[in-house]
Amino acid sequence: MPGLGTSFGRGGATTAQSDLANADAILIMGSSMAENHPVGFQWVMEAREKNGATIIHVDPRFTRTSAMADIWLPLRAGTDILFLGGLINYVLTNDKMFREYVLPYTNLSTVICEGFRDTEDLDGVFSGWDDIKKRYDHSTWQYQNVETLGYDEGHYGGGGHGKEGTGTSHPNGCERDETLQHPRCVYQILKKHFARYTPEMVEQGSGIPKEQFLKVAEAFTSASGPDKTAAICYSVGWTQHSKGVQIIRSAAILQLLLGNIGRPGGGILALRGHASIQGSTDIPTLYDILPGYLHMPFFKSGHNNFNDYILRHKSRKGLWFNYDTYFINLMKAWYGENARADNDWCFDLIPKLTGDHSHFGYWLDMREGKMDGLFVLGQNPAVGASNGRLERTALSKLKWLVVRDMVETETASFWYNSPEIERGELKTEDIATEVFLFPAAGTAEKAGTFTNTQRLLQFRELAIHPPGDARSDSWFMYHLGRRLKKKVEGKVGKRYEPLQKLQWNYKTEGPLKEPSISQVLKEISGWDLTSGKQVSGYKELKGDGTTASGCWIYSGVFPAENLNKALIRSPKNYLGHGWGFSWPNDVRIIYNRCSARPDGRPWSERKKLVWWDEEKQEWTGIDTPDFDKKKRPDYQPPEDATGTNGLAGDKPFILNADGVGWVFAPTGLMDGPLPTHYEPLESPLHNPLYRSHDTNPPEDKKIRPDNEYAPIGDGRFPYVLSTYRLTEHHTAGGMSRTLPHLAELQPELFCELSPELAADLELVHGEWACIYTPRSVIEARVMVTPRMRPLWVQGRTVHQVGLPYHWGYNGLVKGDVTNDLLPISEEPNVRIMETKALVCDIVPGRRATGPEALKQWKAHKEEAA
Amino acid sequence: MTTTAFLTDSTLCIGCKACEVACKEWNELGDDGHTWTGLSYDNTGAVGHSTWRHVKFVEAAPLLGFGGNAPDLASWTFSSDVCKHCEVAGCLEACPTGAIVRTEFGGVFVQPDVCNGCAYCVVSCPFGVVQKNSHDGRAFKCTFCYDRQKEGLQPACAKACPTESIKFGDIEELKLAAQVRVEELQSRGMQDAQLYDPIETSVKGLHAMFITRGDPKQYNLPPNPEVPTVYLESAWKSSALAAGVLVLGGLFAFLGSARR
Amino acid sequence: MSDPIMNLSNEYTPKGWKPRKEARLEEIKEQAKEFGTVEAKGVVPAGAPFPKASPETGYYGIPLLKQPQWKPEIPIYFFVGGASGAASVIGALAHWTGKDRQVARDARLVAAAGAIISSGLLISDLGRPSRFLNMLRMFKPQSPMSMGAWILAGFGTFSGAAATAQILSDRLGFGPFRILGNVAEGFSALFGLPFSNYTGVLIGATVIPVWNHNVRTLPFHFGMSGINAGVSILELMGNDSSPGLNRLGIISSAAETYEGIELEMKRDPVVNEPLKHGASGWITRMGGVLSGPVPLALRLAAEFTGKRRSRQLRQIAACSSIAGSLLTRIGWVRAGGVSAKDWRLPLEETKRPRVQKSQSREDYPHMRKIS
Repeated sequence: MPGLGTSFGRGGATTAQSDLANADAILIMGSSMAENHPVGFQWVMEAREKNGATIIHVDPRFTRTSAMADIWLPLRAGTDILFLGGLINYVLTNDKMFREYVLPYTNLSTVICEGFRDTEDLDGVFSGWDDIKKRYDHSTWQYQNVETLGYDEGHYGGGGHGKEGTGTSHPNGCERDETLQHPRCVYQILKKHFARYTPEMVEQGSGIPKEQFLKVAEAFTSASGPDKTAAICYSVGWTQHSKGVQIIRSAAILQLLLGNIGRPGGGILALRGHASIQGSTDIPTLYDILPGYLHMPFFKSGHNNFNDYILRHKSRKGLWFNYDTYFINLMKAWYGENARADNDWCFDLIPKLTGDHSHFGYWLDMREGKMDGLFVLGQNPAVGASNGRLERTALSKLKWLVVRDMVETETASFWYNSPEIERGELKTEDIATEVFLFPAAGTAEKAGTFTNTQRLLQFRELAIHPPGDARSDSWFMYHLGRRLKKKVEGKVGKRYEPLQKLQWNYKTEGPLKEPSISQVLKEISGWDLTSGKQVSGYKELKGDGTTASGCWIYSGVFPAENLNKALIRSPKNYLGHGWGFSWPNDVRIIYNRCSARPDGRPWSERKKLVWWDEEKQEWTGIDTPDFDKKKRPDYQPPEDATGTNGLAGDKPFILNADGVGWVFAPTGLMDGPLPTHYEPLESPLHNPLYRSHDTNPPEDKKIRPDNEYAPIGDGRFPYVLSTYRLTEHHTAGGMSRTLPHLAELQPELFCELSPELAADLELVHGEWACIYTPRSVIEARVMVTPRMRPLWVQGRTVHQVGLPYHWGYNGLVKGDVTNDLLPISEEPNVRIMETKALVCDIVPGRRATGPEALKQWKAHKEEAA
Repeated sequence: MTTTAFLTDSTLCIGCKACEVACKEWNELGDDGHTWTGLSYDNTGAVGHSTWRHVKFVEAAPLLGFGGNAPDLASWTFSSDVCKHCEVAGCLEACPTGAIVRTEFGGVFVQPDVCNGCAYCVVSCPFGVVQKNSHDGRAFKCTFCYDRQKEGLQPACAKACPTESIKFGDIEELKLAAQVRVEELQSRGMQDAQLYDPIETSVKGLHAMFITRGDPKQYNLPPNPEVPTVYLESAWKSSALAAGVLVLGGLFAFLGSARR
Repeated sequence: MSDPIMNLSNEYTPKGWKPRKEARLEEIKEQAKEFGTVEAKGVVPAGAPFPKASPETGYYGIPLLKQPQWKPEIPIYFFVGGASGAASVIGALAHWTGKDRQVARDARLVAAAGAIISSGLLISDLGRPSRFLNMLRMFKPQSPMSMGAWILAGFGTFSGAAATAQILSDRLGFGPFRILGNVAEGFSALFGLPFSNYTGVLIGATVIPVWNHNVRTLPFHFGMSGINAGVSILELMGNDSSPGLNRLGIISSAAETYEGIELEMKRDPVVNEPLKHGASGWITRMGGVLSGPVPLALRLAAEFTGKRRSRQLRQIAACSSIAGSLLTRIGWVRAGGVSAKDWRLPLEETKRPRVQKSQSREDYPHMRKIS
């Protein structure tokens, strides 16, 4: 998400799935789209069938997506940046850039300040690396002549989800060299940075033979220019890495160089991992952002006030000029009349970050007994989170645990049924946690919206009331809030104020007294508090407290009293206008100013999307323009203009302060302005590029006795392990292992490995094998398949083993928990764990049961390499 | 009523099994037990009384650089199997109670209120589709979503298929579409693309046709399916012969012996 | 029969799994490492075996056909039906030729009892026994089971009537009963003719390879087996001195012997395997021996020995025939089950015999030619 956010301005897919049908080439990497986004994949098929598009799939395994692709390449898990960097290098050395697009629309010509040093200069780190604090100082990454507030040191404790084209830089007078000759212009820096990512290096590091790589490079980069576009689809295979954000940055750079962003059949389709994860980052359940990608304020004395907060995040130009407006509207939505200018809009009442409050951040605190209670809603961390052993043991330290789900998940039953109980590490009698299991309502049993991977809000109406005591999460939260407010009524003290001042007057409807979701959606969309009418979009929001909106990017979804755009189902065109509401403003392909030339004409008839209508003096086209409708293409802003008026008529990326796509990201990311190849945290090989830094330097490995890592090249764990999903099951399996029709499709946990590895280790197809990592041991059925291939990397054979992660110890079909094998680690920007590349050992035979299993695992760990 | 048909195009199938599940959900079928077969991603094995759509996975060794859509190599193909709704159906001819009938849409339908579970259809289907459910007692197979078709809807599997690999429509249109599609695939270089519709056997063609890559035998589609009524003539002749031997033999035996 | 999971490609054997040190193989591996591709298509690098779906192995060796789902009642019914059907004809013939009144009388009882037992067995085999009358909803000549249902209905009615008339006329000495009984006996024999052998048609006209491959001989075989059993049951009821029965018994066991020899001599490799190997093979063979040569020899001997000896021999022959007939039916039904499990047969069967691996187009001459 920050990968896309820093590059373009918004952390979300740049296009709609149906637009893939217009692509001339599609690269699917870090995703098995046919398996995990099968409905969206129909448009990839359309591209293939109707457009003759070349479908390229790069994945350690040959999956059902590869079966539909034209070209498949296996690569060593964790070497995605090497591959993408290789493509960038190919574009630069063979002059495949779409120059007419790149020069005006990206910061390729911008000059970076003098103090900047690249990883090539410093053997694996950028300038500003503090080896003791293990973090970067960004001041040497800034544009020449541009001031920036830099980063608050303490801010590092917070996360990076909101780190989009933020307003901390004031790019007035940033220097540009259109000839691209200046030694410190982004183009030259880029060239130097990726100079060693040659096809030979790609082969050496990731195992892709040179010819095959060049075949893909040619196929993909030739689908670029005025007449052609190519799209990239990625999913969790890119995000769940120790450098996931940077992998996505590489793709963003590539697409910017090829001129594919904001154009039909182009863009980057971030395939979210769940049906509504986009929604859960827009209206976030993330700890470090507020609705609409505003930042959660960070507590630091001296900076703990509203003005400093706004100063930090408001930019002079671009949409984030209105940062304070959006924030104030949010506060008005939450606190109603209690939020006023004189009390800083209740800024003091919202919680402040004091450190790493991400999932692993607080879970490790929980493990140390620092937490009393936990609500787990529709999540199953006992199976779905890394290092299951640590996760479940941590739960036993709570005083109380509330689990809301449709079935009794492994998280809810950890206290009497879990591998720790079986192995004797935990005893039910000794666990003091009081566990409450609340039945939850299913999808059709509650109203609400989903926001899918293409930023599309779709409202679902309630079809049937939930049975028995089952209730929806909104019912639960609303009534919990109501009761808590009642409890603190009349009490005096600052700690009660946040609850007391919270506006919580939602109507309830129906026999079960469900809160009115329509009302909530109206509040999110926003209304004018003086007239009581809905606003039609975020442009109507005011910063004086007269309007309120729960999430500015959703503003416009409910523009009039009875017009719920998320509920409408009358599509007018292939982009789906008239079906649901796509944020922002029902724009389907964002940054679509790029689909027109700087002068406003479309690049070509074939690839037209929005264009300037000279007669009507406005932007028009097939999609809603993601641009000021009336801004002329040749508009030049006056010196002191602010907001989007401060951006010229040919600057499409309106959330970035300089209005252009960021090939080089001066701010926003913790681990570098440019992506660099590092090895995964556990790898059989050293970094072929840099001696001093094998892995991503700012990565937090959270090393502890129960979260050990294997050193690089550890002989005890010689094989690369990757985890993934199957179509037939849903994530941690709570909703699929419990349903007979799904459970029977994939009833048992199995591992996939190549015939060569099976022959070497005498593993028999259909029998059992134990997979060991420094964290745990599990057993799985052996599936020998030629779809897994050994790779020839840096002069030796690297074998890869694949494991799906859907099984747990409850349900109709049971199996070991794959995520027990994974370590807890935190990517520097979003604190996500690395699940896609680690090391393991695999041995024929069954895992011992009971305490013997621990002994078996320890014995394996202790044997000499 | 037009005669409707399925065209299952395996070059568009992504192996997602939505058809399998949609069919089970719509028809409220049971599960087939939870055993792992280890046969690629197919844990179902075959259609039967509680599985009426079954996705087959045919795995061959992929080569570097070649995706499954490459014309040179079919490395992993998926094909959704179903009752073929034969033009001349073995089960229909064999059914003694008349439970198995042809609907107005041309599909072969087992009336569950008539079937008494004699299981003769089971040994009369050359494709091994229909099967008796021993707990329930009756025989079951794909109904061609007769209930849905009567309401003007598509069958559940066709509706659920995300890539329109399962095409449903008028049989003549689909036969034409199939030919066009196979020609198109072959012109793209896929010489192994073919249509499976055995019109020159006694089955006289199917109402559920398949476009597959590679030999249909690897999908368990028989090269020469026959309706067992082709054996009737020889069979009854043999029966008549036996009857003749009984009568003549008996006459000879008794006439030629002493009275007792 | 090969294990479906380990049905492997033809390129390598599963023993050992150590990579074979062959020059060509090493060459291929080097080529693969260097270029990422090898020139020879279809080469599988040496490694552990895994299941394959291919024209040679079918779909992982999963049987294409469904197994017959009949319970043990069915082969027993074949036996009972065959015996009683034949008995009714034998009785009628014995009656009309005027040669053996006792046989005729006993035959009526055997026929009626057989009809009742048959109905019971069939109804018990049904998945929904309460719906047995649905069998008479249709009259479908193209369905042997439909014809069989009507034949049984007719046979049961008339054999029941004949036996009842006989019993009543014995008790009450009422004239018209005797006449009615004779008429019924005639019709019973008429229905008995097909009833004694139609079960061969029933299983012959199916998709099960071992059955339909032998469709020309199965009804005849079952018919002869029925005669054998019918004769034997009548003998054991006290008619073991009836000369007609012995002659008929010789004819039927001679026919059975011929059948058995012919079957053993047939060179059809795979299809008739279940009749010669495995449990089904042994049962069928045992049935064949006990139906054919054993009673043939005993009955022939009985023709040429004295009265008392002859009766003993014939009793043994009768027991052998009954056991043989029953075993034959059981064997054939079991063989059908085994045949259905053979994944090779439905995929290989073409109108012309095949000797080598075929091209797919040639195997599918009926498929529309795409130009």
